[in-house]
Amino acid sequence: MTRLNRRKFMSRAAAAAGATAAASSFGLPAFGQEVSRIRHGWWGNPERDRRTFEVIDIFNGKHPNIEVVGETLGFNDYFTRLATQIAGGNMPDCIQQGYGVMQEYVDRGTMIPLTEFVGNTIDISDVDESGLSAGTFNGELYGLTIGANTMATVFNTALVEASGETFDSVTWTYDDLKRVATAISGSTPDGVYGTDDSTADWGAFGVFAGQNGFLSVFSDDGEDMSIDADLIIEYWNMWKEMRDAGATPPGADSAGLAGQADLTVQGVVTGQTAITYAWSNQIVGIQGLMQDKVGAAMRPHLPGGEPGQSVQPSQFICLSRDTVDAEAATTYMNAFIHDPDMTAVLGMERGIPEVSSVRQMLAPTMSEAEATTVEYFDSIQGHVGPLAPPNPAGAREIEEAFERIAVNILLERQSIEDTANQFLQEARGILRRA
Amino acid sequence: MRKFLAKNAPGYLFLSPWLLGFFFLAIGPIVTSFYLSFTKYDIATPPRFIGIEHYEYMFVWDARFWQSLKVTFAYVFMSVPGTLIFALAVAMLLDRQIRAIGTYRALFYLPSILGGSIAVAILWRQLFSNAGVINSIVELVGFEGPYWLSDPDYSLYTLVILAVWQFGSPMLIFLAGLRAIPQELYEAAEIDAAGPFRKFFAITLPMLAPVVFFNLVLQMIEAFKTFNSAFIISDGRGNPLDSLLFFTLYLYNEAFSFFRMGYASALAWVLLAIIGFFTAIAFATSKYWVHYENERG
Repeated sequence: MTRLNRRKFMSRAAAAAGATAAASSFGLPAFGQEVSRIRHGWWGNPERDRRTFEVIDIFNGKHPNIEVVGETLGFNDYFTRLATQIAGGNMPDCIQQGYGVMQEYVDRGTMIPLTEFVGNTIDISDVDESGLSAGTFNGELYGLTIGANTMATVFNTALVEASGETFDSVTWTYDDLKRVATAISGSTPDGVYGTDDSTADWGAFGVFAGQNGFLSVFSDDGEDMSIDADLIIEYWNMWKEMRDAGATPPGADSAGLAGQADLTVQGVVTGQTAITYAWSNQIVGIQGLMQDKVGAAMRPHLPGGEPGQSVQPSQFICLSRDTVDAEAATTYMNAFIHDPDMTAVLGMERGIPEVSSVRQMLAPTMSEAEATTVEYFDSIQGHVGPLAPPNPAGAREIEEAFERIAVNILLERQSIEDTANQFLQEARGILRRA
Repeated sequence: MRKFLAKNAPGYLFLSPWLLGFFFLAIGPIVTSFYLSFTKYDIATPPRFIGIEHYEYMFVWDARFWQSLKVTFAYVFMSVPGTLIFALAVAMLLDRQIRAIGTYRALFYLPSILGGSIAVAILWRQLFSNAGVINSIVELVGFEGPYWLSDPDYSLYTLVILAVWQFGSPMLIFLAGLRAIPQELYEAAEIDAAGPFRKFFAITLPMLAPVVFFNLVLQMIEAFKTFNSAFIISDGRGNPLDSLLFFTLYLYNEAFSFFRMGYASALAWVLLAIIGFFTAIAFATSKYWVHYENERG
């Protein structure tokens, strides 16, 4: 999607007229020079798209020699289109990547290491160490992190208050969740329930596995699963109890939402539930789709309180191997995480910035949702575990398999035991093939 | 040779846009995909030859391959006869002299223009959603509607209904066929006191057989290739529980979601073989039930 701003419109009009002479007489030397066209692709939501296009306009205004064009898609479609672009050799110059899938793209050589640009077009002197180490794969820096991120429970504060129940947003447990969610189902009209059902939520299962001592669900060599069927059975039984208690919508309702990443279909946004499971950098996006004020809590814990979530980079901005002008592209990438005007527009929408000066600058101008995000982030310090190692190839396929197979339980078509074994068998098959 | 060129060069020159497209955009990719089906190719790194490993895995180990075949065949065997019967019924209704008949024809053709589009697939999702229009109607009658889209027992029917609803092009072809049947045959039958059923089975259907055959082959090939509506309605994955895992959808995901372009190419060739096989069967059996008017014997 190309957005025409005034500057671009003028430059194109001028070019069309072939009026180089006229342009220089206006004192715009840019028209005489070669303009580098850089494409930036990301997945997002309406709020992120709005902010990112604005940022691109700001950058283009400051850099007459570079013209950045934005391309955006929803999360699921983003990666399939990226695959066609890899095949066609026309990936955008700057691509957004996530920690969960990045290793696969690095191993296949689709991205250029940033190491050679550091100190020239890219400045990493003020980037947090945690952000740099997360962006380092196979010993080389491949991505600039746009923000720090962690999972969150996002809830509708009005509905939680109306239920009369309270909980500690940091240390709460699955039992607390069941108590609060059941109360919400009772205090709201028919058809509104306490919480989304995480039976088919691979990320939520990952947290549960972490709380049970599995830093990664994959074995160290990435060739097998580290978890066994018992853990999956325990997880699905826990959610079955929530369902049976009336804390969640009926299983068939939840089945239709399995694997859907779009914020607009999440229960807290549609109003079907009061509690949704998301990421801290989605709090701003969710609030943008809602009237009631949202609150943020950690993912619920087991009674012992062992950590299951970690702080990780929300997304990276990376340099693709198809870039037409690496210097221009890295200039843009650097500005994306440093430029005060650009980062002011981006705010917290992609996560808490990992550049210290940007964090300080943003503090006084935060919106309510951004303040909620920062407050949440501060509150969880000391309650998070270490970052899991990067996922092996095939991780995304296993996630989809989990989301698909778990529907058997939501629709009560198979026993929990059989379903858990079926999933493990498929997951191992996927790892063997990858 | 020179003589040949002098005579035919202008012809080939005018054909060249089509020929170039045919060789470089159709034959080229088809041949390439045949080669790729014997390689491990992850899109980003060069393909590596592995022989028939993909085909072996597909037939021996791949449960989702068999599931996608099951879904596709169920769809073809329901939607093709459904569409043909419906199209013929509407064509017979429209094959008469009534006022503003042209308008009705245009209206009945409308779904076919819209049907393949993404917008209609999205609309279909809304119509059949849990609290959608269809279930509201079902409720009015006093029943509780099923979860059309999230219940694997029902999801395929929504797509069959969508396919049948797009009866426009076979209907137009049937209509043309009906017009070509000589009225004398009906008149003679009436004199012999044939009722409407007798007339339909003894005159209309046999006379229409070539058109039925044409529509059957065309619709069947289209049905095997269904992708757009399945993609939209099943979240692009065949949800729920692979009940909408159409063959093309599985192929697409293997290629573009999971970086198995080689395997997807093998799948594509299997689909080609399947479509070829069923088309051949249709042609082979046609001599027993399709008779052309100019045939003597």
